[in-house]
Formats: sequence, C-alpha cells, structure tokens
Amino acid sequence: MFKPRPMQAEILKYQNGKMGVAAVPGSGKTATLSALAAQLITQGTIYDDQEILIVTLVNSAVDNFSTRIASFVREAGLLENMGYRVRTLHGLAHDIVRERPDLAGLSEQFSILDENESSRMIEAAAAAYLREHPELAEQYIDPSIDLHNEPKTHKNWNESITSICANFISQAKDLQIEPAELREKIEKHHLSDPLLEMAVQVYFEYQRGLRYRGSVDFSDLVRLAHRVLSSDREFLERLRYRWPYILEDEAQDSSLVQERILRLLVGPDGNWVRVGDTNQAIYETFTTASPTFLRDFLREPGVVAKDLANSGRSNKSIIRLANDLNKWTRDAHPVEDLRSSLSLPYIIPAPPGDPQPNPPDHPQSVYIMKNAVNSEEEIKKVVESIRNWLPAHQDKTVAVLCPIGFHAEKVVEALEFAGIEIVEMLKSTQSTRRVTRILEKVLVCLSDPSAVNKLAAVFQLLTHDNPDLETCKSDVSNLFNQLKKVRELEVLLYADTPNGWRKTLQLEALPPVLDRKFSKFLVDMVRWQNAAPLPIDQLLLTVGRDLFTSPQDLALTHKLALLLEFSARNHPEYQLPQFAIDLAEIASNERKFAGFSEDDTGFNPEAHKGKVLVSTFHKAKGLEWDRVYLLSVNNYDFPSAQEFDNYKGEKWFIANHLNLEAELLSKLKAIVNDDIPGMFMEPGYATREARIEYSSERLRLLYVGITRARESLIITWNTGRRKEARMALPLEALHAILEEKNAAA
Amino acid sequence: MTESKLTSIQQQIADLPVQSRVFLHGPAGCGKTFAAVHHMQALIKAGVPSDSILILVPQRTLAEPFKKIIRTPNFTSGGEPAILTIGGLAQRMLTLFWPLVAKEKGFGAPDKPPRFLTLETAQYYLSNLVEPLLQIGYFESVTVDPNRLYSQILDNLNKSAVVGFSPEEISTRLIQAWAGKPSQAIIYDQAQECALRFRQLCLQQNLLDFSLQLSVFANHLWPSLLCRQYLTSTYRHLIYDNTEEDYPVAHDLIESWMPDFESALIIKDEQGGFRSFMGADPISASRFSKACEKTIKFTESMIKTPELEHLETALTTSLTYHKIESEIPIEIQNAFSIHTFRFYPQGLDWITDQVKDLVDNQGVRPEEIVVLTPFLSDSLRHSINARFTNAGLSLSTFRPSRGLRDEPAINAVLTLVKLAFPTWNLKPVKDEIRIAMLLLIEDCDYIRADLITQVLFGQANGILRSFDSVKNKEMQQRISFLVGERFERLRLWLEENAIDDSLELDIFISRLFGELLSQPGYKFHQNFDSAAAVNRLVESARKFRQVMNIETSPKTPDLNKEYIRLVETGILSAQYMSDWESKTRSGSVLVSPAFSYLMNNRPVRFQFWLDIGSQGWWTRLDQPLTHPYVLNRNWQNGKLWSDMHENAANQQSLIRIMDGLIRRCSEHIFMCTLGVNEQGNEERGALIMAVQTILRKLQNKPGVKHV
Repeated sequence: MFKPRPMQAEILKYQNGKMGVAAVPGSGKTATLSALAAQLITQGTIYDDQEILIVTLVNSAVDNFSTRIASFVREAGLLENMGYRVRTLHGLAHDIVRERPDLAGLSEQFSILDENESSRMIEAAAAAYLREHPELAEQYIDPSIDLHNEPKTHKNWNESITSICANFISQAKDLQIEPAELREKIEKHHLSDPLLEMAVQVYFEYQRGLRYRGSVDFSDLVRLAHRVLSSDREFLERLRYRWPYILEDEAQDSSLVQERILRLLVGPDGNWVRVGDTNQAIYETFTTASPTFLRDFLREPGVVAKDLANSGRSNKSIIRLANDLNKWTRDAHPVEDLRSSLSLPYIIPAPPGDPQPNPPDHPQSVYIMKNAVNSEEEIKKVVESIRNWLPAHQDKTVAVLCPIGFHAEKVVEALEFAGIEIVEMLKSTQSTRRVTRILEKVLVCLSDPSAVNKLAAVFQLLTHDNPDLETCKSDVSNLFNQLKKVRELEVLLYADTPNGWRKTLQLEALPPVLDRKFSKFLVDMVRWQNAAPLPIDQLLLTVGRDLFTSPQDLALTHKLALLLEFSARNHPEYQLPQFAIDLAEIASNERKFAGFSEDDTGFNPEAHKGKVLVSTFHKAKGLEWDRVYLLSVNNYDFPSAQEFDNYKGEKWFIANHLNLEAELLSKLKAIVNDDIPGMFMEPGYATREARIEYSSERLRLLYVGITRARESLIITWNTGRRKEARMALPLEALHAILEEKNAAA
Repeated sequence: MTESKLTSIQQQIADLPVQSRVFLHGPAGCGKTFAAVHHMQALIKAGVPSDSILILVPQRTLAEPFKKIIRTPNFTSGGEPAILTIGGLAQRMLTLFWPLVAKEKGFGAPDKPPRFLTLETAQYYLSNLVEPLLQIGYFESVTVDPNRLYSQILDNLNKSAVVGFSPEEISTRLIQAWAGKPSQAIIYDQAQECALRFRQLCLQQNLLDFSLQLSVFANHLWPSLLCRQYLTSTYRHLIYDNTEEDYPVAHDLIESWMPDFESALIIKDEQGGFRSFMGADPISASRFSKACEKTIKFTESMIKTPELEHLETALTTSLTYHKIESEIPIEIQNAFSIHTFRFYPQGLDWITDQVKDLVDNQGVRPEEIVVLTPFLSDSLRHSINARFTNAGLSLSTFRPSRGLRDEPAINAVLTLVKLAFPTWNLKPVKDEIRIAMLLLIEDCDYIRADLITQVLFGQANGILRSFDSVKNKEMQQRISFLVGERFERLRLWLEENAIDDSLELDIFISRLFGELLSQPGYKFHQNFDSAAAVNRLVESARKFRQVMNIETSPKTPDLNKEYIRLVETGILSAQYMSDWESKTRSGSVLVSPAFSYLMNNRPVRFQFWLDIGSQGWWTRLDQPLTHPYVLNRNWQNGKLWSDMHENAANQQSLIRIMDGLIRRCSEHIFMCTLGVNEQGNEERGALIMAVQTILRKLQNKPGVKHV
C-alpha cells in the first residue's frame, strides 16, 4: 500500500487541468505518478473506452509503471491492464502511426529498422560519398596532416563523418525537414557548404534505402506520428477522447517533437501532468531535447506548479554535496552563462516518520580525491578501495560510474583481474545474449557441418553451467575431449545403429544424465541439419523449439527469427554465415536488442548485492546504490568553458579545432528556421556555443552521478590520455566547500 | 448442418419453376448455397441442358459446393454447367473474339494473339517502367517496398475497371479525398502516370492485365452483337452466388444480361462484402432484388446456437456503442472463453493442446476446427505446424505456404540450373550446393553433402567435378560410392543436357525433374510435395515465358536469367492459389487469416481466435497509393475522406468480420489474448476493448466463469 508523503499527497489532489511537478532525485515520482494514474482509473474519472496515457523515457520505466499501476488497480478490485497505457515516445508514436499509416505514407506492414541496420546504411552512404569526394577531407583536415600517410587518422575522419551524418539525420527528422526540402532551401539561399552538401546527400541516400526496404527508423516514427496528428483533425480528436489524461514522466528530457506531439494530444483544455527534474537533463547535446520545455511549462499561465523536494534516498552528507553543487553553480560559477545549468528546488531530506527515511549519516560519507593521478592509477585505487570494502559489505550494493563506455570497460577488466565479481548493464542482457549465442553457434555449425570443433562448441555451450551435470563434470570434459578427436562426423551423426556414437567415441559408460543429453543432442543436430534448407526464420524456430522451454526464450527465438527474416528480405544473397554474424552481434553486445527476460525490462541494483556494477553515468540514471564511485571527473570529461578546457567534439585533426558537428547542426537549425544570419555565421561560433551547452550538461551529469549514492560517495579524477587534464572545476569547488565544512566541524 | 435434408424454405428454392427469376438473400449460414446447388440439380432433372447453366461466383473457391456435386459419378452425363467468374468469362471471350476488338481498341498488333498477364507478370512489366522513375525521385513521400508499390498501381487500374471509371480519373478522385498534408498528394499523380504508361505499353504489345481484360470485355465486347449473341445463346440459366463479393461492373453486366436468361437465381449474403478492397460492393448487388420477379429471404441460421447469437449481438453492440446497456444472458459464456498468455509461443502451445484434446478426447473431426488470426506470417504458420506435427495433428491453410524463393525444393532445382549453365554467370555458392545435394540425392546426408561441396565443387568456375576425380580414396569412402554414383549421374545429366542454353527454362526443368530427379536414387522420387513445388516453378516459368514478347524481348538465355533473378528477389513468388490448394485437406485443422477464412465460407464447430488484442482485426489493409473506399461507386467524388470515415469503415468492417466468423461457428470460440505480440509489442486493438466491455458487463453476475 502506497503511503504518500505530504508533498506527494499534494500531487494526488490533482483532478484535472495542467500541472507541472519539479521533482528532486529520489523523491518517489514514479510511485506518485503511478498512484495518480490508478486513482484516476479507480475513481471512475474515465469511460470504458478511454485510457490514462503515461509517457516515459525508457523501456525499463514502462514496465516499472505498468507493474505499479496494475498493483494499485488490483488493490481497488478492478481488472488490471485496462484503462491505462504506458509508452515511451517511440512506443506512443508507433501506436499512432500504426492506427493511420495512410496519413504517414506507409503501408500497414511497415517495419522499423533496427539501430544496427540503420547505422550500417548511414555508414555505407557516407563511405560512398567520401570515396567520390576525396576533396572533402582537404577542406576540413588540418593542413599539416596527410591522411594518405596516416591510416589511423583517416579512419578517425571517416568515423567522425559517419557519426556527424547520423546525428544530422536524426536531428533533421526531429526538426521535421526532409532531404528534398533541405536541398530546396539550400539552393534558395545559395548556401555553399561542402559538409552540409555531404550530409544532405547522405540523408537523401539513407531515406531512399529506407523506402526501398519499406522501413522507417525510430526518428521517422516520431516525426511521422506528428505528421499524422497534425494532418487529420478528426483523428486527433478521436485520440484526445481516448486519452483524456496525459501523465508525462522525465519531462526534462522532452524533445521538441515530443513536446509538439503531447501538446497536440492534450489540446487547449486538456489534462496534462508533467513531472521531471531539470537538474537531471542529460540528453541535450546535439539533440532537440531541452529542460527549457519543462521550465517554461512550469511558468505557463494556468499551470499549477508543484515541488516534490523530499528525498529519502541519500544520507544528509550526500544531499548536502548535491545541494552545494546546485548552489555553487547558480551563485558562483565563473561563467555567467553556466549559472542557469542547475536550478531550485534543493533536495530536502524526508520528513520525520517517513516510511522511507534517509540512510544514517556518517562523517566519511563523501570522499573527493585531490591528488593528480593518471587513468591507470585512478582505476587501481578504485579497485583497491573496493577490494578492501566489499568483503565486509556483502549485503550492500555498489556501482562504479564512468563518463564513457571505454573507460568503464577498463574498469571491468581491472576488477575482473582482481577477482572481484562484477555486473554489467549492457545493450542486451545476459539471458538474451545466452539464447542468441546458442542459436548463433548452431548456425555456425550448420554452415560448416563437417567441422567437429564447431559441433563441439555447440555442445559445450549447451552443457556449460548446466546444474544437471554438476556431479559429472569430469565425464563431460572427457566426452568433450573424445568428441574433438572424431574425424568423420557422418559416422557419429548418421551411424547405422542408434547407439553407434558410443562406439565411435570409444567411451566407457557415461553417467545416464550425460548419456541422455548427448544422445538427444545428436538427434537434434541431425534434425537441424535436415532443416537447414528451410528459410532462415523457420530454421531458427525449429532449433529454438528443440533447445528452449521457457516462454521467454521461445518468444525471444521468435523475435530473432523475425529479425533474420527481415535481414533475408533485404539481403537475398545472405547465407547461414551472414545470419550467424547478425546473431553474433547481439550475442556479443554490439547490437541493441531487447529480449523478454526480467533483466530486459528493468535493471534492479538490489538483485546484485555484494557485486560491483560498472556503468556509465548516463545509464545509471534512475538507479541508486549504497556506495558509488564516480570516476574521471576531470576537465576533459566535465569541462567548464574555461580557456584551458578541451572538448571531445573538437577533433585534433580538424583545422582550427572546429566542432564540425556543432557547426553543421547549427546551420541545419538556421535553415529550418529560415534564420539567414545563422546560415552564414562565421565558422567557430557554433563551436563556442557548443562548449557552453556541453559544459552545462556535464554539470547536470555530475549532479546525476552524486545523487545515485545512498550512503557513501567517492569521487576521483585523472590526468587523461595526454596527462594534461586537471580536476574538474565544479569538483574543485565542491572539494573546497567540503574541506571548509570539515574544518569547521 | 445436415447435408442430406432440405428445409421447407430451401426446398422452395430447389423447386423453383424452370422459368423464374429469384433474388435470394439472408445472413451467412442459412443454407442459401445449399439450396442453390439443389436448384441446379433440379434444373437439370427438369431437362435443362447442363451446359446451358452458368454458375457465376466472384471467386472460384466459392463454387466448391457446386463443383462437389458436378464431380460426383452419377451427375448427369453430357456437358457440365459452366463455373466462371466475370474475370474468367472476360478472358474466355477475349480469346474467342479477339479480332473483333483488337483493332478497335487500338492494340499494337491486332493480327497477333493477345497475351494475358498474371498479377506477377503484370508486376514485372510495370517494374521495368517504374524503376527508372524511382531513381529520379518518384514516390519519395511514401515508404513502401517496390513490389507493393507496383501492386498498388495495378490495383488502381483494376479499381477503375471494376468500378467503371476511366484510368485518367484515378488521381483526381484520390486527391480530392486526401485529408493529409497536401504535399503528399503528388504521389497520386505519379501513380496515375505510371498506370497510364503501363496501359500504353499493354496496348502496344497486346498485353492484357486484369483491368484491361475486364474493361475491353465490358466496354467493347459485351456491347457487340456477335459476342452478346454468343453468350446469350450459350447460357440460358444463371445461378449467381455471393453477389455481395463481386464488383459493380460485374453487376452491370449481369443486370443487362438478365432479360436474356430463361431463369436466374441471384444470391446475396447480408453482412458480406469482405473483398471490399478488391472492389466488392454489396450495395451495388442489392439492385438484383428489383431485377428479379421474386425475393426470398432466409433468416434461420443452420449453424449457430442461441448463445453464439448472444455473443454476436453483444460484440456488435459493444463495437458500435463502446458500451452495453441491456442485460447479457449468462449463457453467453457457453459461446466463448478467454485465455490469456504473456507470450506468443505459450498461446500456440495451449491451442495445440486444446485442439488435440478436442480431436482425441471429444470426438471432434479436425476439419471442424479452425485457428484464426488477423495475419498469418510464414514464421507463425511454421510454428503452429511444428507443434501440430509433434502432436500428431495435420494442418492446412488457404495458400501455398511459401513464396517460390522460400521453397527449399525450388531453390535446389534452381541451383542445378545455375550449375548447368555456367555461361549465365549465376554461380551458386557453396551453401546452395550443399543444400541441393542434401535435398536431391537419396542417402546423402548433410555432412556428405558438405563433403561433396568441399571436394567436387569449384567455387571459382561454378562447376562440378567428376566423382572419379577425387584422388583421396578415403574421401570417396566417406561420401560413399552409392552417393557418389548418384552424384555422378546427376552431374553427367547436367553436362549432357545443358548444351543448348537457348532451351526454355520451364522445359529444361520439366525434363530435369522427369528424367532425373523423380527417378529412384533421388529424393523427389515419389515425393508429392516436392513434385508440387517443382510444378509451381515450371508453371510460373512457363507463364513468364509465354507473356514475354519473343520479338522484342531478349534471347532465351537472358530471359531465363531474368526469370531466376525475379524469383530470387521475390518479384515472382507464385503465391496465388491454385485449385488443388483451395481445397482444405480432410483430416486437417485449418489455420487461416480471418479474411481468407470468411472468403472460403466453411462453417466449423470450434474457432480459435489468436491474439484478439491485435490491431490487425481492426485496421484495413493500408495501401498509400490507392483507396478501396474512395475508388468506389458509393463514394461521392469530391468529398474528403476523414478520420470519421476511416473509423466508421474500420468499425463496420470489424463488425462484418465478427458477424461472419460467429455465423460460421456452431459451438464455441476460444479467444486468446497475448501480453506481447510476435514482434514483442503490446497491442490493444478494438476487438479486445469490445470483449472487455462484455466481460465488465458480466463481471458481477453470479455463476460467471470468465472474469
């Protein structure tokens, strides 16, 4: 049963109209918003054919909301799963477009391109353009660099261009401009910009590729949903009737098009509750997302603004540190433009008697490392600290957060080397990867059926960690060794007698459980070999049915089968090895793929006590741990628009250290807005603007990092690759404040 | 329904006087077709020559009850009644009276015979015209794969023919109704341009796609005295069933033909019109009530129970008003049950168990069960089939299970063709050779097929080496001499018979099959499924060859290569239904998309509705370049097609589907809901919402089991 705090109870008084809620980290906004949705349903506010629409940021939050609302609704004695719909923006866009594909220029069987395929297409289009226009590099690369003699830099340049194109396309779609229209405007204004020409051409080719496949990408989905809503008034009215209340979570990360879609759906007199924390807006760089939308909404006439400022998550020292960062930024940041990066309210500890009180405070709750160390030493110190702390705290949760994935991987390596158990938050989950890996290995084996090592690899994977075989590990290993010695697989698999394999392997009697498993494996393998001529989706389903029993794994196989069937349609020349590569990408975590296991639908730190989670700051959003390490808080990863700062977006090999992406996107925005001075702005202006934007977001990222910790927080930094980096400015300030307070204490 | 006895009202139809014109209507499941079959027999018994009877249906499968009687051994000797669709009639007349219209209609070579296009060959010609236009930016604002783009352009032409308006009006009609962004309307002009270019090409080259066949027949042949005299004297009696599924131009023709028939029995299903996206027009069909002297209405369902009647009423009310005011009788729960699963495979497992229980323990014949879904993907069909096979159940569907390129036997044959003609430069890859060997050579398992590929296939030149060329005796033993000898026979056959690469592909494949693959020692020997698959390939290749203009088209090898390319890219898939496929096998459970099931009119005792949450039950087949409701006689030109129309059309369509399904069920409907669909998405369409309203209404009643 949910017992609201006083501030939460205030929110639950809502009946209709527009309300904006500024929430702090750990203020229980998911619980409050879920309770509000359930309350609207159970009070009979809506009709049978209406729904409360909840829009949130990520898939994991969808399940979290659904589960909570379902439990509230169940408590009220009503049917769960009806009367509400929880969607991410993409999910919502999909629902809208799916209902009226004609208005979006789609057939009803349109498919959504998976991120990997989309990246491949952009990469191919960009590479083709660069091949045809080698002169492009000369115009942007530092004249002292000869790309022909520096293959690594050449590769870097190509990768940068692909990444710039991908962001350009995504942002152009968010701004709802098509390549033809862009071209028209460029010609109209006689804009001559080789980078822009390149980006538009790649955009053009990419869209053509999508059309050819009858597909859309995720950005298209959202863009088209807006198009559908704004082109048919009656359809819009129908949806307004269906969703009389819209509750929006994480509103600080609302993008321009999300803002537009929701405004359309709410209508002038609709009911809209937006909850968010502008201090946690960390998806703004090179996107149209902005906390301004929420800030402006809170000030709109007719909007009731509320605070959810109580938080029971962290102890007082950590709360104080987060509030100090907020205060210092607003009052004392040396760059005036950055002072608005964070805003009120401050975090207030939970009131006395709260069911979720703050953890007890202690003097060593916060530690900020002052000394300059290089990256390896920093990691070494963190690993050492964890090694000392963990044995005595097996019932606690702990996370190491790094600004970038590459750094996180180094930490993982070091922890593994130290024998410390780790947990990863990855693009796909372990169970998804396991199933995918098994299917991949089967395809590999079928594509080279005479190779005994490939057959053995499948069996090894199937027996790995199998609890049934726990008691006969040495027999398994023995069998495995014998298997690898077989030279003529046809004799093993297609023996004249059912027991022929025993003779071929020259093994003593196997334990019955292993004997059974191996016999079944051979029978299955023969069946899969006979199924090899089937279309790839059907082959995969055949294999999956023999191997898996859990509904999640079978559903996942079905989803993978459809994915490969889509690949087959787009690449009629694909054979088993190519399909195996597709699966390998998912299995090795190079490709984002959502499965159906509980892990896929939301990460729960509490399930991993006594182990170390390694992740990026971004992925940690919304989660909390007893102890948190924040790494690499230097002026490269957290710059502050200072003379001595360096920026990731400003590549060293680009002439004048321009941030090409920023320059290009600024021009794109100017074109879309018909802002003529913006179109002809001198090079470098957008680069400088981007520094402010990036530094601002990094301040909020640091705030997010700090507020992940419940009981203790350790912040470290390093001197970077070139040994020139220094402690991030805000960290220096926090360190000084902390010292001062400690001294006073 | 008992097949042997007629009700009194059915008897009345059977006993109609020889010279009578009757319009018979009523809901599905009232025994109208059954009565009509008896009427046909009665006419013959009364001395009417069989071949003067014309049985007209909108789709050939609907004539099955008539065919069944005609095929019986004791059916009258002599001629048979003609069973035709208007399209079939048009083609017949065009073949017969071609010289009469060829010149008048402006065909490019009136002295040469017409060449009838199938949907696929029409798509092929159209694709050659449209592809260059796509390159220069046509259809940029729509996202549709090219094959569907072509089919929609053809569909527009077909609509103009079946509704009866000029192809030049297509874009105007569509643009006037377009409520979306004005900039998008340009695609309609582009679609029309392509359609007109295609029409021009057809006229130049004597090519007749369906639209041209119908419009030439309706506008030029039928009005001509010669053709009309021929038809009116050949057919004196008409039985026209399922008129609601036919299009207005068909109705026009029959209406004007009516005075010439000695007798006519015209039948219409109320709540029918499932083929509306193909031009079916039940409103237009209603005209026959005036054209006939007598109207008879059947009302009593021969199939459904009172409980199912309650379900139909409740669902229709709920779909129409989104609420149910009146009380629902508690007995309704005998008519249906809800079964909830989180994942697709769980639902499929449950259905399999349930079907098995019905068949094994409750004495239900498999053909009395149908599993219905809004769409039936190949993967889904395969998944159900695998489960059914495991459970010892047999399954049938209303279409070939796979397109040509997805059929393993066909791929194996095409691999041999590629091997036979290396000069075509269509070198097969190792995977293809391995699979061909596995599928074709008796006793060749997958590993031996792999060994053959490794040692006897040269990837670089794309040819097979002799088995004797293997120097390594151990390898020969591993492959086995038996398999080696069969391989060698196959290789030699290819070598000997591939000398002439100007041989037509269909003929080459027929010989390959007849002389080698169907012989002992090869796996197609006495394998009827493979024979059927190869037959499909031969037929498709033959049709393709026949429509290609020998004078203007490239030489045969190029034609053959082009054919293989088209199969491999999926443009040619031969997924149309042939006669033998339309008959579901007895002893098998039918798995079908709801729409196809309704179109085949086969009542059952038990229905399983898979995934009632799917939007697919509700949304129409969307085709951005065309519009079934706008390119329609009932649409007022110039009006805007708004969401209100869209919503109402979908609602009507769903009500019609529900009504049609329930009327074709005599005992129980098992409705399955799924947490996430095949793609892993959650869906909550109109059907599940309507069912939910019924459940809520039942919620607090004592003795309710569902909720």
